[in-house]
Amino acid sequence: MTEWAAPVDDVGLVPFGRGFERGLDARSLCTRGVQLETLAGLGLPVGAGLTIPVPNVPGFTSPDRAKAAMNLLETISGRQISSTTDTGGLVLLRLSASAPVEAAGLPPDLVCLGLKRSVIPDGLGARARTSLGAAWWKAASFIAEHALGVPGDELGMLDIDHPDPVERIEPFKRLCEEHGSAPFPTKRSQQVAAGAQAMIERWNSPRAARARRKQNLPADLPLALHLETVIVTEHDDEGHGYATSRNAETGAFEPNGRFRHGFRLSGERQLEGHPLDALPGGVEMLTGVLAELEGRLGSVVTVDFEFGPDGLALVGLEEQRRPSARVATSLAVDLVIRGINDEQRAVASTDPVHVVELLHPQPRLSGDEVALVSGLGASPGAAVGRIALDSETAVEMAERGDPVILVMSETTPGDLPGMMAAAGILTANGGSASHAAVVARGMGRPAICGASGLRMDTQARTLAAGTHVLSEGDVISIDGASGVAYVGELTIARPSPSPSLTTLLSWADDGRRLGVRANADNAVDATAAVDNGAEGIGLCRTEHMFLGDRLPFVRAVLLSHDGDAEERALAELARAQREDFRELLAAIGDRPVTVRLLDAPMHEFLPTSADELDDEHQARMLEHLHEENPMLGVRGVRLALMHEGLYPAQVEGLFQAWVDVVSADEGRPQLEVMVPLVSIPDELVMTLRLIRRVNQEVSSRTGMLIPFSIGTMVETPRAALMADRLAQWAEFLSFGTNDLTQLTYGFSRDDVERRMLGTYLEKGLLTASPFAELDPDGVGALIETAVARGRSVRPDIKLGICGEHGGDPSSIALCERLGLDYVSASPSRIPVARLAAAHARTGRSPAEAVS
Amino acid sequence: MGEVALTDEQQAALVSLVVRGMARGQATQAQQELADAGLILVKGPVLMPTPAGTELVGSLLRLPDDAPERERIMATFHRFLPVNRQLRDLCTAWQVRPDGSANDHSDENYDADIRDRLDDIDDAVGPLLKRFAEDIPSMGAYRPRLTEALANLDEGDDAWLASPLIDSYHTVWMHLHQELLLTIGMSRKEDEELEERLVAGGGA
Repeated sequence: MTEWAAPVDDVGLVPFGRGFERGLDARSLCTRGVQLETLAGLGLPVGAGLTIPVPNVPGFTSPDRAKAAMNLLETISGRQISSTTDTGGLVLLRLSASAPVEAAGLPPDLVCLGLKRSVIPDGLGARARTSLGAAWWKAASFIAEHALGVPGDELGMLDIDHPDPVERIEPFKRLCEEHGSAPFPTKRSQQVAAGAQAMIERWNSPRAARARRKQNLPADLPLALHLETVIVTEHDDEGHGYATSRNAETGAFEPNGRFRHGFRLSGERQLEGHPLDALPGGVEMLTGVLAELEGRLGSVVTVDFEFGPDGLALVGLEEQRRPSARVATSLAVDLVIRGINDEQRAVASTDPVHVVELLHPQPRLSGDEVALVSGLGASPGAAVGRIALDSETAVEMAERGDPVILVMSETTPGDLPGMMAAAGILTANGGSASHAAVVARGMGRPAICGASGLRMDTQARTLAAGTHVLSEGDVISIDGASGVAYVGELTIARPSPSPSLTTLLSWADDGRRLGVRANADNAVDATAAVDNGAEGIGLCRTEHMFLGDRLPFVRAVLLSHDGDAEERALAELARAQREDFRELLAAIGDRPVTVRLLDAPMHEFLPTSADELDDEHQARMLEHLHEENPMLGVRGVRLALMHEGLYPAQVEGLFQAWVDVVSADEGRPQLEVMVPLVSIPDELVMTLRLIRRVNQEVSSRTGMLIPFSIGTMVETPRAALMADRLAQWAEFLSFGTNDLTQLTYGFSRDDVERRMLGTYLEKGLLTASPFAELDPDGVGALIETAVARGRSVRPDIKLGICGEHGGDPSSIALCERLGLDYVSASPSRIPVARLAAAHARTGRSPAEAVS
Repeated sequence: MGEVALTDEQQAALVSLVVRGMARGQATQAQQELADAGLILVKGPVLMPTPAGTELVGSLLRLPDDAPERERIMATFHRFLPVNRQLRDLCTAWQVRPDGSANDHSDENYDADIRDRLDDIDDAVGPLLKRFAEDIPSMGAYRPRLTEALANLDEGDDAWLASPLIDSYHTVWMHLHQELLLTIGMSRKEDEELEERLVAGGGA
C-alpha cells in the first residue's frame, strides 16, 4: 500500500472541497474526492459530504469513527440524520467508494444507510417509500453478503419470494441471524461501519481483483470512501440529474441531459427522465458551469447534480475520456476560438485514426431519394438489397447471389440464418437493445430497429409504410446510422469532412511539411481526393485501363505474330488511354499527376482457357509465356522493353489527353511519368528515350509543348541502392513500399498474411504487419540510403511514397523522419494523412497533447 | 400434430433446434430422422426447424392455461424480465459506446466495467433459474451453460459475451428466454411490452 499512502499521517475526515488545502491529492482523496475539489475550486456549489481518505479507510470500520463522521456531516450539511426536512423529506446517508485512478469493479453506492432500526417510516409518501425500500434492500443485502457472509443466493431467493421490500425486512433479519456472522446492525453508526467493511471486502474479492487485472491496475489499489447526505423525497422541487456539455450527434456545445424527481438510487447515472429545459430554475447555471469546466479541463464534461429548495448542488464530474470524433473535433476547434488553446495544440489533440470514423460510408443523398420509413439507427453502416420478409427467404435469395435486406417485425434466435445471409436488417419493433440490434452489431451488419411505420403482410408478401407498398424482392437501401430506409438503390459513399474537421485540417496543413497526395485511377477518385484536400495525384495506376473491352488489344500485343495486327492494337490502346486520361486530368486541374505506366504481371492479361484463343500460334505463345512466379517475372518496365510499343502507346494517350484538357481550358496538370519495377538504371534510360520520342511527336503534331517530368518507382532493394545512378535521369523517385517490403523481407504478401503473420505477431517476432506499418529498420534503412544517394546527385529530386503505407500515421511519421517530400494515400485516407503529417512535423501525438 | 410421436432423443433434438433457431454441421441421427419427418430443414451445413417443427415444439413445451405451476412461473418471469433488460442493455453497451460509436475494445476501463456488471446480472439470474427449474426441469441446464460462457470470456476471448455465432453468454440467455416464452406461450411482442411495463415500474 505504500505507493498509494497519503503523505500525511492523520488527515481525519475531509469535507468536500477542503482536501487540496490540506495537501492531499488523488492518492488519498481518490477520483471522487478530486472531482469535488475541482468543482469547489471553481467556486461552484457542491453537495454536502466528506471523504474518508485512503489511510483512514481501514479504521472507518469502527462504529466510533463512523459516528464521528456522521456528526461532522450533520455540522457541514446543517441537517440531522434521520430527521425530516421542511418539505417532508427524510435525511439519510450515502456511502460510496472511489480509487486513486478511474477503475471498474468498485463497490456500488450504499444509499439510505442510517435508517433507524431498519424501519421505513410511515410519514413518507408511497413513491418515496417504494424507492426507499428498493435502495435500502440493495444496501442491506450488500452488507449482509459482504460484511456478514450471508450467501448471495439465499438473499436472491428472499428477494424473489417477497417482491415488496417492506415485507422483506423481517425475513431478512432472520436470514442474517441464521446465516450471518452477526445479526444485521441496528444502530446507525454500526450500519455505516458495516457498510464500509462490506465495501472493503468486496474490493478485495476475486471479482474486483479480476476487474483490476483486466485494466492492468495494481492488485493493491486502495479505496477512499465518501459519505454524503441523501434526502428521500417525492417533492416536485427536489431531484437529481446529469448534464453533458456537447450534443453527441453534432458535437456542438449544447448542454443536454436528463433529470428526475426524487433521490439518486444508485451511483450509476440514470439515463431516463425529463429533458433539462424543464428543470426547475432553468439551465442557465448548468450551461455556465459546463462552459467553465470545458475551458478549464479541455475536455467534454458531464456533471451530476441535485436540486432542491436550496438550489443546485454538483455531486459528480466526469471528463469524457473518449469523445466521438465529431465531438472531439468540435471541442478542439471551439477551444481555439475561445482563445483557450492554440491551433497546433488543437491539431495535436486530434487522433488521425479517430477521424476515419467521421468518414464511414453512408448513402449519398441528393435530395431526390424517397424515404421509406425511419426508425432507430441500431447498427451503423449502409446497405442496399432486396427485401426478404423472413429468414428462410433471405437465405434463399442470398444463395442466388442477391444482396438482401431482411425486413421483419422483430427477430428471434430462429432468424439467425437469415440475419447472417442479409446485408442489412430492418425491424418494425424493438430498440437498440433488441435481439435484432444486438445480433446485427455482433455480426457487423447495418440495422434499423423500431421502424414503427412499417406494416408487413406475410401472406401477400408485401410491406407498407406510409403511401408506399413494396413487394418482397424489391430493392431498398438502409442507413444504420441515421435510421432511415429508402426506396430503391442509393449510392453508398463516404461523406465530406464536417465544418470543424475542415477547420482542423486547414490548421494541420499550416503545420505540416510533408505533401499529401492521393492514389487515384479515375476521375471519380480524383475528384474525391481533391475534395478531401489532396495536393495532387501521387499514383495513378493504369492497369485497369487494360481490362474489360481493351483486353483483346492487349492480348493482340502480347500474343500476336503479325506486326500489322500489333500496330492496330496499339493504336486502339492509345485512343482508349486518351479518353481515360482526359477525364482524370480535367478533374485534377493544375495539380501534379504521377502516372505509373503499366505494372501488372503479364498473366493478368492472358487467357486462362483454350476457348479464348484464336489459333494454334496463340496457344503456343501462351504456353511459352507461362511464368512460375509472375510477380517477379516479366512485369513493369521489363514487359515494356520486351514489347516496345506498349509504353509509347500509353504516353501517346496521356500527352494527347493533356493537350485536349489544356486546349479546352480545363486546367494545366503537371505530368509526371513514372516507370515501374526498375532495378537496372539503363532500363530507365531506354524507356525515357521512347517517351521523349512520343512527346516530341505529339508536340509537333499538335503544336503545343507538353512539359513532363520523368521518374521511377523504387520497388526493389537494388533500385534503392542505385538511387544515385537513377537520379541522373529521374526527376522524382516514388517508393512503392508494398513491393519494397515484400522484396526486402522476401515475403510473398498474400501467403504470409494468410498463413504466418498471426503467429509471428503472437510470438512477438513482429509487432505490426510490415504491410500496414512501414518497417523502420530494414525497409526504412533502404529508403534512407536511397534518399541520401538520390539527393547527392540531384539535390532537388522529389521523393515520395505511394501505396497503403501513405495513409498510415506511424508510416507517415517515418516518412517525415526520412525527409521525404510527400506521401500518397487513398482518397478516403487523405484527411488522416494531413493530420498525421502535421503530427509527424511537430513530433506530438494526441496522448502527449492532452497531458 | 397429435399424430407425430417422437422418441425422447428426437424430441430433445427438436426442442434444442427450435430454441436455438439453427445449428451448423453434420446432422445427427435424430436430426436426420426429424428431417425425414419434415420437422427440420437441412440446407447444406445448416439445420433449421420447419414451421411444422416449430409448431410442434410450441405445443410440446406450452403449459396448459390451468396448470397449477403457471402462476408461480409467471411471478418468477416477472422478476426475470427486468434482469433480461439489464442483460440486453449490457450487451448493447458492450457493442456500442454511450456516444453511439462502436466499442473497439481498446478502453480497458470501459470493458472491465461491463464485465464487472455482468456479474451482477449473473448473480441475479442464478436464484431465478433455481426457481424456474423447480417447475421446468430443463431450465436447470442453463446455469452451467452460462457459467461456461463466463469462464470462456474470462479466458480472454471477448466473443463469449455477445457473439451470435457461438454459445456466448448472450446466445445462451436468448435460448433460455426463448424456452421460457415457448413454455408460457407468450409472443415476443407481448413479452417486450410486458418487459417495458415492468421496467417502467408500472407492474403487469
